[in-house]
Amino acid sequence: MNTTSHQTSSFKEYFVNLYRGISTTVIGMWITFRYVWAVKPVSIEYPEVREVLPERARMRLFNDVQNCISCTQCAMACPVDCIYIASEKRPEGEEIKKTTNGQPIRLKLTQFTIDIALCCYCGLCTVVCPTECLTHSHDYEFSQYTIDGMKYDYLAPDVIAWRDRIVKS
Amino acid sequence: MLNVDFNKLADLINKNVQDAGAVVNVPEDTKCDSSITVSASRIYAVVEFLKTNSEMPFNSLHVMSGVDYVEWMEVCYMMTHFDVQNPREFILKIKITERVSPTVDSIVNLYAAADFQEREIYDMFGIKFNNHPDLRRILCPDDWQGFPLRKDYVAQKEYNGMKVFPDSKMNFDDREFIVRQNMIKKAQKQAAN
Amino acid sequence: MQSKWDIGEPEKPTINSQTEQLKSELLTLNMGPQHPATHGVLRLEIWTDSEIVVHAIPHLGYLHRCMEKHAENLDYRGVIPFVDRLDYLAAMNMEWTYASAVEKMLGTEVPRRAELLRILTCELNRIASHLMAFGTYALDLGAFTPFLYAFEEREKLLRLFEEVSGARLLYNYIWIGGVWNDWNDDQLQRVAAFCDVMEQEAKKYDDLVSYNKIFVERTTNVGVFSLQDCLDYGASGPVLRGSGMKWDLRKNKPYSLYSEFDFDVPVATEEVKKVGGQVGDCWSRYIVRMREVVESIKIIRQVLEKLEPGPVMGKVPKIIKLPKGEVYVRQECPRGELAFHLVSEGEKKPYRLKVKSPCFTHVSMLPRVAPGQMIADFVASVGSIDIVLGEVDR
Repeated sequence: MNTTSHQTSSFKEYFVNLYRGISTTVIGMWITFRYVWAVKPVSIEYPEVREVLPERARMRLFNDVQNCISCTQCAMACPVDCIYIASEKRPEGEEIKKTTNGQPIRLKLTQFTIDIALCCYCGLCTVVCPTECLTHSHDYEFSQYTIDGMKYDYLAPDVIAWRDRIVKS
Repeated sequence: MLNVDFNKLADLINKNVQDAGAVVNVPEDTKCDSSITVSASRIYAVVEFLKTNSEMPFNSLHVMSGVDYVEWMEVCYMMTHFDVQNPREFILKIKITERVSPTVDSIVNLYAAADFQEREIYDMFGIKFNNHPDLRRILCPDDWQGFPLRKDYVAQKEYNGMKVFPDSKMNFDDREFIVRQNMIKKAQKQAAN
Repeated sequence: MQSKWDIGEPEKPTINSQTEQLKSELLTLNMGPQHPATHGVLRLEIWTDSEIVVHAIPHLGYLHRCMEKHAENLDYRGVIPFVDRLDYLAAMNMEWTYASAVEKMLGTEVPRRAELLRILTCELNRIASHLMAFGTYALDLGAFTPFLYAFEEREKLLRLFEEVSGARLLYNYIWIGGVWNDWNDDQLQRVAAFCDVMEQEAKKYDDLVSYNKIFVERTTNVGVFSLQDCLDYGASGPVLRGSGMKWDLRKNKPYSLYSEFDFDVPVATEEVKKVGGQVGDCWSRYIVRMREVVESIKIIRQVLEKLEPGPVMGKVPKIIKLPKGEVYVRQECPRGELAFHLVSEGEKKPYRLKVKSPCFTHVSMLPRVAPGQMIADFVASVGSIDIVLGEVDR
């Protein structure tokens, strides 16, 4: 509370305060004024110009089901339990495929759903994945009209079609 | 814990506070911290002694924490001495076996920090503090039932006419998913048999 | 309760009969939960006598997410994303404190490079947090542009964090046993360049805001916490240092590798007298933060010199099981001393995780400073303790 100091201030102090008030404000205003010509704008116009995301950026999850061995480690590591995996034994005689890093796919994946609305983008599931099929893609614009739309079934053909865009090599 | 000789401190408390019953808890694992347990009825006197003594004063209460061990509950007072040359800290504990209406003496008169901390302990564990000036719930709503951090806590079904877990906001997929998985497993077992 | 707002008999006006009938009673005013000056969802019930605050009651819990209860049902690694969400402006510091609590019980040895990288990220995060505090505090007091200047620099840091950890705010970068990713040379060079820029910027902020007469008049001699009050309430961090105590855990109880570093603990005792304030007012808390930014830059420069190639992750078992017992670990965060009281019963999950949040302590000090302040000065006091409600309500 500066009311008391104002009341006791003398005539001279009043002008000193006035001078200081004006001079320090002018210094601040000068810094701001310099931005007219001396500093380039740092903001970008978002929908037209997009920033390139860094390589490690963690956005929407994508599972490459062709490489998934249904080990359920991601579902166990998930702190919010948003990954649902179901698998069954392969019928006898069916050929056992291998993932790109050479692991045999013994179980047949029947469901791989992630509720992205629940996901907290912590990245713990992608770390434990032994075949590196579960990754964070760089998609960040995926608003939906209903919350059910945020449940992605990675065995659906339209989601599998993202693979060409997301999985490199 | 910092610069505290536990045996010496426990002796000091026992010598100066009647019926304090200070016991040093030495953990089984050496990496864990030791602590001192005193009797719950004498907590005010013990904390008063810790604050005012000249040999080993503690000028601040860092935080109060509660732990529910089902058979008993513990209130931990993290005593701190803010001093540039000779800082100290240690955990002071009391044990409470009563679960229905546990009561402890408040130490708000000694440390103002205890005001909010005791309210939080009351909110989360239902431990009442005698002589607390304003013992209300702090994080939960005032008319909430139950004490969330107790191990046997079950959330109430309805709060002021509102459902606590409304269907529209619950995710049933995981539950349905488990049921379906169990059915599949059963079917597989039957097929194998 | 009565004594706190009872300010004696009001003077009896005797001008005419109409004024005699005028009631004089306290006005109850709700500041928040949706109020720009409360930095989140804090509700302050203030009782005012015209423009003077007579009594303030903080109502907490609008952002209560039962984090401590959640933690009891998660494995030790899974708690880290939740810990991030406590103090979302300085998430690295939160993670480090939690990780060091688990490491202390586990007995893990963290590689030297990982420790240095932790110091690096946490100090950078401290700068980012203090920049935010600086910007929003000026915003509280009616100056809009400093906020934009602060965000310009903060953006560079967030970009660095995004590159190294993958997220801009909730990093999950510091893990039990080390850090997730290594920094590459290009990023470290950018940190060095940032340090040079930031040093200049800190001077600019001083010209722009710190010594501005209007700002000084608004903040000096307002919301004074005496040192005795601070100790009584258990305050820490910039609030304690603003009140004149040279206490910093990094210096007085060096954890990690902080004992190797050369830095000062800024206190405002002398500087605040030059501008005509007294120790413990809003300006001294503000200036402590601004000086801490410079000290953090010093530490970062020393880290960059000391960094040598090496592993960034120590040996940690795949499934973490802690021994039966408890630890209490304190660390210095931008807002004060954060501490975790971790109790384990020898299982895969924590038995109890208590968070000592500095802001919770500082909010409890608000009723102490409120009586006798103008409402606008009370806004300055609330802003000066730099609260983050995610941490208060947990």
